[in-house]
Amino acid sequence: MIRHLFRLIWNKKKTHALLMVEIWASFLVLFGLASMIVFNVSNYVEPLGFTYERVWAVDFNNNQDTTAIPDKVNTILQRLKAYPEVESVSRMSSNFPFSASTMNNGVDYKKRHVMAHFYTTDAAFAQTLDMPLVAGRWYTKADLGGKYKPVVINRKAQEALFVDENPLGKVFSNFRVVGVIDNFKAKGEFMTNAPAVFEMMDGKNTWDKIYLVKTKPGTDAMFEARLVKEMSTMLVGWNVEVNPLIDSRKNQHNLTLVPVIIFLIVCSFLLINVALGLFGVLNLSIAKRRSEIGLRRAIGATAKNVSWQFVAEIWVLATFSLLFGLLFAVQFPLMHVFDLASGVYIGAIALAVGIIYGLVTLCALFPSRQAATIHPAVALHEE
Amino acid sequence: MLANYIKIAWKVLLRHPFYTFITLFGISLTLTVLMVLTSFIDHLVGSHYPETNRNRSLYIEKMVLRDSSRSSQNSGPMSFKFLTQYAKTLKTAEKVTITSFFRTSNAYAGAQKIKLNTKYTDAAFWEVMNFTFLEGKPYNEQNIRNGELVAVITDDFRRQYFSDLSEPVVGKDIEVESIHYKVIGVVKGSPPTRIFSYADIYFPYTVPKSNYEQDDIMGGYVAVVLANKASDRKAVQEEFQDKIRRIPLPGNRNGFKYDIAEVGCAPYVESMLSIFMEGGPQVKVIFYSVIAFLMFMLMGLPAINLVNVNVSRIMERSSEIGIRKAFGAPIRTLLMQFIVENIFITFIGGTIALVLTLITIYLINQSGWIAYADLTINLNVFLVSIGVCLLFGLLSGVAPALRMSKLSIVEALKS
Amino acid sequence: MISLTNIEKVYRTSTIETLALNNINLHIGQGEFASIMGPSGCGKSTLLNIIGLLDAPSKGSISVGGQPVTSYSDQEMARLRNQRLGFIFQSFHLINDLSVLDNVEIPLLYRKQISAAQRRQMAQEALERVGLSNRVKHFPKQLSGGQKQRVAIARAIVGRPEIILADEPTGNLDSVMGNEILSILQGLNNDGATIVMVTHDEAMAKKTHRLIRLFDGTMVGDTTLTLC
Repeated sequence: MIRHLFRLIWNKKKTHALLMVEIWASFLVLFGLASMIVFNVSNYVEPLGFTYERVWAVDFNNNQDTTAIPDKVNTILQRLKAYPEVESVSRMSSNFPFSASTMNNGVDYKKRHVMAHFYTTDAAFAQTLDMPLVAGRWYTKADLGGKYKPVVINRKAQEALFVDENPLGKVFSNFRVVGVIDNFKAKGEFMTNAPAVFEMMDGKNTWDKIYLVKTKPGTDAMFEARLVKEMSTMLVGWNVEVNPLIDSRKNQHNLTLVPVIIFLIVCSFLLINVALGLFGVLNLSIAKRRSEIGLRRAIGATAKNVSWQFVAEIWVLATFSLLFGLLFAVQFPLMHVFDLASGVYIGAIALAVGIIYGLVTLCALFPSRQAATIHPAVALHEE
Repeated sequence: MLANYIKIAWKVLLRHPFYTFITLFGISLTLTVLMVLTSFIDHLVGSHYPETNRNRSLYIEKMVLRDSSRSSQNSGPMSFKFLTQYAKTLKTAEKVTITSFFRTSNAYAGAQKIKLNTKYTDAAFWEVMNFTFLEGKPYNEQNIRNGELVAVITDDFRRQYFSDLSEPVVGKDIEVESIHYKVIGVVKGSPPTRIFSYADIYFPYTVPKSNYEQDDIMGGYVAVVLANKASDRKAVQEEFQDKIRRIPLPGNRNGFKYDIAEVGCAPYVESMLSIFMEGGPQVKVIFYSVIAFLMFMLMGLPAINLVNVNVSRIMERSSEIGIRKAFGAPIRTLLMQFIVENIFITFIGGTIALVLTLITIYLINQSGWIAYADLTINLNVFLVSIGVCLLFGLLSGVAPALRMSKLSIVEALKS
Repeated sequence: MISLTNIEKVYRTSTIETLALNNINLHIGQGEFASIMGPSGCGKSTLLNIIGLLDAPSKGSISVGGQPVTSYSDQEMARLRNQRLGFIFQSFHLINDLSVLDNVEIPLLYRKQISAAQRRQMAQEALERVGLSNRVKHFPKQLSGGQKQRVAIARAIVGRPEIILADEPTGNLDSVMGNEILSILQGLNNDGATIVMVTHDEAMAKKTHRLIRLFDGTMVGDTTLTLC
């Protein structure tokens, strides 16, 4: 029967050409949407790797003040730690969690080249962000001064660089690994869990002036105001800005979600449009095929057979269009377009195919029911 | 004759309410998306409050320094000093303002934290931008020269910072990062999508922390040049580039040796696009192909859908066509009927789309999604939409009509 | 073979009630070649539809091979039509988008446990029987009216039904082709098939074994012919 329907649809391909183009185009749109969704969802399910709820990023800018910066940078750290409301303080580079800035560098180990996110942090970083280590330890002041700079890497970087070697104590690109953490998705839940390298900040660094301040529970904006006031009184001419990570996270999420939501809304309208059109076309085509339906009923098709036939036909039609659509879609995982994992595209293809079949079935359901109610005696004698 | 066509078209539409609905849905949906999109783009790039002079303005927002091998580069906004020397002195320009890009900061009103954006500007800023002052006035050269701690704030910030709104706030004190400023004026705010004019608080560039004294060619400032009229912009650009060519080269900036210095001075759209296009031709190709794909899908899908429904409908009406042909209606008349029918329904769809767009735009403006959003349907957008409307009508009318006209009388009557 | 008892058929619309068949009692035996005649609108097609189980009578009962079928479900009716009945229509009702062979195969698609090869084989045989084995790859549009009707006959006999119901099979054909079709039907009858044919062509009817005359829904004559 299926083969019969394939032949029937194939022979009618000219009549169905537009319908097929429509399903094909819908598939491509869905594929785009599904890629976006699958990509973001698969990122989202990966653990973030750190806690941010009570952490503020305090940004200092010395503007035109250039006197005794190293001392002042240190004083800030001591002063921040001294607050009873503060649990711990860590200084880091401008690409702090949920910030807009990123820093990428290539690193090499045994001819393996890996692009990794670089974060310059101090010894208190893991404690401030509550990051557990899966191997080794976080670096301390004692690690500085050696031939190689101490670094902590994340598991992604470990897998990419060392595969199944034990990374502890290994040296790559002038860095010595002292510890391995699990995930670190600095841009929030929707970020891809990418290789990361945490480089220890040395005494010479005076340009990175982001301080991550972990506050005690129940600390409010009153303390924030006091902190800013006291800091800017202490550092004349400096800018002090407090960004609770919770707020920065919201911004990062919006950056990801707003385009997805807009795309989703537009796509759903497009699909509703297509579904209605498909429904209309199918309805008309059934009206045109009354004689065929009558005949099939006369020679032994049950009402169920007939209604199933119309659903199956649209499946066949969708299959033809999808095969054509797949020709395009598989290029994405094959050519590694946009550098996404192949799994994302394959998941997206599966999702899009599923939705298309669901959609066409939905559109065919009512017309096919109608087809089943056609009375053979009437349909056969209409002409 | 036309009235007759329309009368028949109207009857046909009423006879098939379901297909009429599908068709109208498709048309109005597509046009709504299109019109909201154009009005959004218009919001982004058009000349609107407070940058009403945008159509005769030039934007100097980025400097690129490269070494001779082009292997590394520094790029970003410029220093106040550089712009004073190179932009402020333009003779062909009517006015030039130097302003910082907005910078985020926080203010605290009691236990409440107010997020805000600050901007340091010169006095010409208030002449290049057409802000509406609700209270007070802008700061002038005198204020700037004296280094007065004054500020112009937006109505939005006024509402957040001052609890008592019944009395004027001019002359009152605000504290930002431990510095006290005196409010000198209150303006109606600018949407954040207009980055050259947007901020919550505007300071004269001589207040502390503005870094205007920075001795560097790059920094945190940009300039907006106002030409006497739109057509004068060419001359201004030429004069500016002439000055840029006289930047002493090679130079050294904090250890970075550069041999090439480029500074763009372009109309708004061009200078915004150049930010996108920074990644070179490959990014350009991807950017344009994504846009093209989106447009194709957005327009193509509903179009295919319409044609599809139309073809099926006309096939359904083939016996009617056969009878008309048999009674001697020429193909031209039949074609006309279908085209008129399609244009007619497209215009109804267009009208619905217009209403839907107005509602959508109203909702966007009201939602606070973009502060001070002022999306409007302007005449251009509407005319473009009507044009697209017609194109759609013909596209989905001609193809099926042509197919139909090929049906022979006998065949049309038979099936 | 087929028995109709006290069959009555009424068509109702909101305004009019039409009595299409009135108290029909009819028995068609195995191997018969019966024709039903009457003027247009006399109810002969309705009668054939009822015999073919395409339409349910308003009153009365039908039995096929001694089995009462009036209370059969849709599925049972369909199976009965598929296995024991074959249909031929005036306007052929071929599916234009399928080749001759595919058209002939259709009844077998609604049977279980027939392999594709078997179907092919049976369809080939049926086409050979009507003398069209050289046209299997053609499409209905490429055939003449007579050829189309022969395809339709092949389709009716492909499932080897006991009864063939033909509704004006020669109505759309000229007399030469009509005779050709009739002789095929006679051949099938000689091989044991029971045939019921509706026609308004006296000459055609005369060539069958039995002539049933209808007028305004009532049976007005039932003659056994011995001429041929």
